[in-house]
Amino acid sequence: MSDPFHASSVRCAGPQSFGQGGRRGFIKMGLAGFASLSLPGLLRLKSATASAGAPKLKKSIIMVWKPGGCSHLDTYDPKPDIGSEYRGPFKTISTSVPGMNFTELLPMQARIADKLTVLRSMHQTAPGHPAGSMQMLSGDPETRDKPKPKYPDWMTVANYLRSKDAPRDNPLPRYVGVNPPLEYNGPAYLGDAYSPFTVMGDPNLPTFSVPNIGLSDPNEVKRLSQRSTLRQRLDTLDRAFDKQGELGALDQFETQAMSLLTSPLTREAFDLTKEDERTRDRYGRNAWGQQLLMARRLVEAGVEVMTTSMSGPLCGRVGNWDDHAVNHHIFDAMRYRAQAYDQAVTALIEDIYERGLDQQVLVVVTGEFGRTPKIEHSPSTGEGIGSGPAGTTQPGRDHWPRAFSNVWAGGGIQTGRFIGATDKRGEDPIERACSAGDFLATIYHHLGIDSANTFINDLNGRPTPIVDRGRPIAELI
Amino acid sequence: MSNPFSLQYGSAPKGDSCQGILGHALVALAFCIGISCFYGRLPANEPKSPSVSVSFVNDVMPVLTKAGCNSGVCHAKAVNGQNGFRLSLLGFEPQDDYVHLLKEGRGRRLSMASPASSLILSKASGQVPHRGGVRLSKESTEYATLLGWIRDGAKYDGPTATKLLSIQVQPDRGTLPPKSQQQLTAIAVYADGTQRDVTKLALFESNEKSMAEVSEHGLVQAMELPGRVSIMVRYQGLVSVYSASIPLGAMVDSIPASKGFIDDALFSNLKELGIPPSPICDDATFVRRVTLDVAGRLPTTQELDSVVGSTDPNKRDTFVAKLLQSSEYADFFANKWTAMLKNRRDDASDITSNFAFYSWVRDSLLQNKPYDQMVRELLAATGTVQSNPPVAWYKRVKEQKQQLEDVAQLFLGVRMQCAQCHHHPFEKWSQDDYYSFAAFFSQVGRKPTSTRGEDMIFHKRGIATAANIKTGTVLKPAALGTSIDSITADQDPRLHLANWMSDPKNPFFAKAVVNRYWKHFFRRGLIDPEDDIRDTNPPSNPELLAGLEKHFIASGFDLKELVRVIVTSNAYQLSSVPNQSNSADQQNYSRYYHKRLQAEVLLDSIDDVTGARTDFQNLPTGTRAVALPDNSYNNATPFLKVFGRPENESVCECERTQSSSLAQSLHLMNAGDVKAKLATAGGRADLMSKSQKPMEERVTELYRIAFGRSPSAAELSGAVDYLTEPSSADASGVSVGQPASPERFQDLIWALINTKEFLFNH
Repeated sequence: MSDPFHASSVRCAGPQSFGQGGRRGFIKMGLAGFASLSLPGLLRLKSATASAGAPKLKKSIIMVWKPGGCSHLDTYDPKPDIGSEYRGPFKTISTSVPGMNFTELLPMQARIADKLTVLRSMHQTAPGHPAGSMQMLSGDPETRDKPKPKYPDWMTVANYLRSKDAPRDNPLPRYVGVNPPLEYNGPAYLGDAYSPFTVMGDPNLPTFSVPNIGLSDPNEVKRLSQRSTLRQRLDTLDRAFDKQGELGALDQFETQAMSLLTSPLTREAFDLTKEDERTRDRYGRNAWGQQLLMARRLVEAGVEVMTTSMSGPLCGRVGNWDDHAVNHHIFDAMRYRAQAYDQAVTALIEDIYERGLDQQVLVVVTGEFGRTPKIEHSPSTGEGIGSGPAGTTQPGRDHWPRAFSNVWAGGGIQTGRFIGATDKRGEDPIERACSAGDFLATIYHHLGIDSANTFINDLNGRPTPIVDRGRPIAELI
Repeated sequence: MSNPFSLQYGSAPKGDSCQGILGHALVALAFCIGISCFYGRLPANEPKSPSVSVSFVNDVMPVLTKAGCNSGVCHAKAVNGQNGFRLSLLGFEPQDDYVHLLKEGRGRRLSMASPASSLILSKASGQVPHRGGVRLSKESTEYATLLGWIRDGAKYDGPTATKLLSIQVQPDRGTLPPKSQQQLTAIAVYADGTQRDVTKLALFESNEKSMAEVSEHGLVQAMELPGRVSIMVRYQGLVSVYSASIPLGAMVDSIPASKGFIDDALFSNLKELGIPPSPICDDATFVRRVTLDVAGRLPTTQELDSVVGSTDPNKRDTFVAKLLQSSEYADFFANKWTAMLKNRRDDASDITSNFAFYSWVRDSLLQNKPYDQMVRELLAATGTVQSNPPVAWYKRVKEQKQQLEDVAQLFLGVRMQCAQCHHHPFEKWSQDDYYSFAAFFSQVGRKPTSTRGEDMIFHKRGIATAANIKTGTVLKPAALGTSIDSITADQDPRLHLANWMSDPKNPFFAKAVVNRYWKHFFRRGLIDPEDDIRDTNPPSNPELLAGLEKHFIASGFDLKELVRVIVTSNAYQLSSVPNQSNSADQQNYSRYYHKRLQAEVLLDSIDDVTGARTDFQNLPTGTRAVALPDNSYNNATPFLKVFGRPENESVCECERTQSSSLAQSLHLMNAGDVKAKLATAGGRADLMSKSQKPMEERVTELYRIAFGRSPSAAELSGAVDYLTEPSSADASGVSVGQPASPERFQDLIWALINTKEFLFNH
């Protein structure tokens, strides 16, 4: 049982599989998950890049996803006054915002707490990873787990709706995921055309490169150009039909594909070596830090929907935040991952403000749920980072959708405060309870999408609301 | 005031597809946003005699509907309606609505003491803040109607109100020159013989907004696209349709000869609308087109020669007959049907039943089993997958509701989903229709077998019934309004349903499949979407649809004959190149509408051209993508996913993505699998570079394989030049490939498979 991906748990067959087929399948696909951009306007790429005027950037979002569910009691919603069967070992520390306390795991965010807002009264109703993720990401009210989402996630919805907007003068895809959440979300009936352009791997590695973006080998670029010229010479059908509709759209995709493949600009947007060394250090020289730096770099270059997930080895043995005692010694695991997490999130938020992106870019940090306030003890199923040898009893916390915290920054929102509160044990919101629908409506609101009045037809032609129940959280807009 | 009504209105099941995120959101947007409630300023055309008291059912409800109050996004929203004020969707349940108005909201919605301060009025008129905005101006007659009703004591007149019999639209048909207008009048006809002009209160909707739009007051504005368009008029749950033809009015002087009823109907429609058809395409184009459409593959050079070089006047018909004999015909259409029949791999152990089911579909098509028999075998399947493969459908489609919805949509072209929870907004289907249809599947018994995941399906002895979830009424089986009540406990009700379907007089069964097949060949159904057949979505060419239906029934539900009669028509053989006048035509088939090759066909075609092979797990070497039995190969073959091969989850063919995307362009240009195919050892580029044949011959062969035609002189010389020109290093010192090298041939093949001529059937 030393393989971390096969650490089985009776309670939770969820995110342990994160490292398996699903993701690797996507890596193999390479371009397969690539989102489509808006159809018109791509032909104007050249002219757009030629003209000196800075392009007007649309409102955009970076969602930092903590798959598996992060313990709220051990991070943003400490409960120092409850019994040790709940409390956990971490000290409570004050932040730069009077009255708002974190645990000692987050000293850096505590220092910049005036630049973020913590929503402590987030809650949803699904106890499993699949249904919980689907509630948070696609607004599906179902509480039972199912293998595939029934509704498109907010990212593909936003991509789809924006693709109907005015032309986009940017060669980059609208929706990019850098190690994004992939398992329990997706385009559902919107189709793969609206999936993200997906970048996998550890951007901190010197060997890291993004395939199919700005080919670096001049031979390849030359050959592609030659082929493309030859193709244009041979395509007689091209001239026979008028270019409205489908054929026109195809032309534009082809032009954009060429641009993505051959333009040095697109390569640069993903190229972290263009960043100052100090900036790279500031985010943390590890996968999470560099993922978040890449996210910032991409939204700055015009990506509008950006997701990245904090998973993998930095999480500990099972590669995610699912800290049942069978998976992790939760407190060891939290301590292990806290530094990289705290540093990366802090750097992203500070950077957003320092670079003047704080009105344009909303940063959201969340997982699908929180973790049980009451600590449980079970035997570990395997030894590894954040977990004792198999069989040793260790503390853990289980799934807790009834109350959890998430972090918001930028997006022009008022920061330096917390919204809502949970009861004395952190079990349920006692103030300003916000649902998954509210969470989604808030995100849509920032993107300029009227979620109360936006419907998308499913495959049966039935108009389906993008948020069934939920209103933008007034304090976050 | 005593109230005779029970408050049992909220019994719809939780977690149902209708109760979840979907809500009761139908058509909400148009009403809630589009109508700014200013219709009240129009000249009143419905003065009410002061002596007649205001009727809740006939006066108040239409006002609420037209103002959009009971649209899905507003107070007909799922569960509780907006802010707890709940109305039935589009006013189908006046009795419930009355209860909500009168009894809930602590009685503030209607104030008997001070009618004008009733919330329903103060909110709707914006005197009290209303999230839905101002829906009724205080000066409007509609406001006055509501006020009058409350003053009269807010009585419910459900049982006594004059019954609305029908809604009529005047005129009901006509010809609209491009850019012209037509005012429609909606007339309500009541049981007591009275009629009322309800234009102000009726709802209007165009089925094709690119052809004609309609204002909320019923003013139709024709656009410039020629064809047939209909305007749906709705009032109090009843619908009526205005159909207009918008002529192009061009000279139609040359029309191909007619080969039968299809050509008669199609060409006479073009003449009527003044849309000149493109000419008949040449032999090479026809061979490629029909081979792709019937057998799902490119034609071989031998096939090409057999037609192009022949002087036989019947050579095209003969070629079609050969294609229909081929096993590839069965492969291609089995691929189509198994997707809609949800042959899906959820678990590795599904493989046995999926293969068995696929084979059953394919064999049925190959031996040309009559369509009604095939559907009967599926619908009434009993036993185990091993003994009777169509049973597998009941494994995929387990729930009774899903069974009836799939059967209705797939085999009858009727979408019943809406009627599960409320009256279909555009149709006559009620919840009784839904549940009485469900009753056919109420006696489907299943028990586990020794094979994991496989159930035995049997008829559970008993009288088939199903309960209307709302009223609780127990219903006997009825098929879309036709009750079938002689079913005994020993008889499998599904067989009765199959009998009803295959009756030559059945108005749905043949129509649904001929329309579906028409779409397969012509890209657009005569009714479109092809599985949304209803009075309010009429066919673009009714005579043609009726002719196909008749022919199909007379042939004994012969699917191959259906294909044959379609593809041998001259209508199918028109050129795809538009002439000066018909490029705007999108629904009259005045030219062949090009279609992108579907994922499987495109992959096979690239294999054919490059000489590469795609291998699929657990399938014999050489299995083509078009012959894959289920969806499980999509994950391992990203090409299929990127180009939209469905996951066999929906009964709707729209699950297959046929639109282009950036991912597709990138994939064709640069993905590893495509590059590997080009460079296959022993593949086309490799062999051609080693060939001793003259360069011209090699290029010609390549063209014939990829495009099904020989190159023009210019194309030939262009390609030969590219293959043979000396390599010259550019400033960066980069040079690609020596003359006539495999790399040069790879470039040429890359260019060919990236052209539209290759990617499309045209």
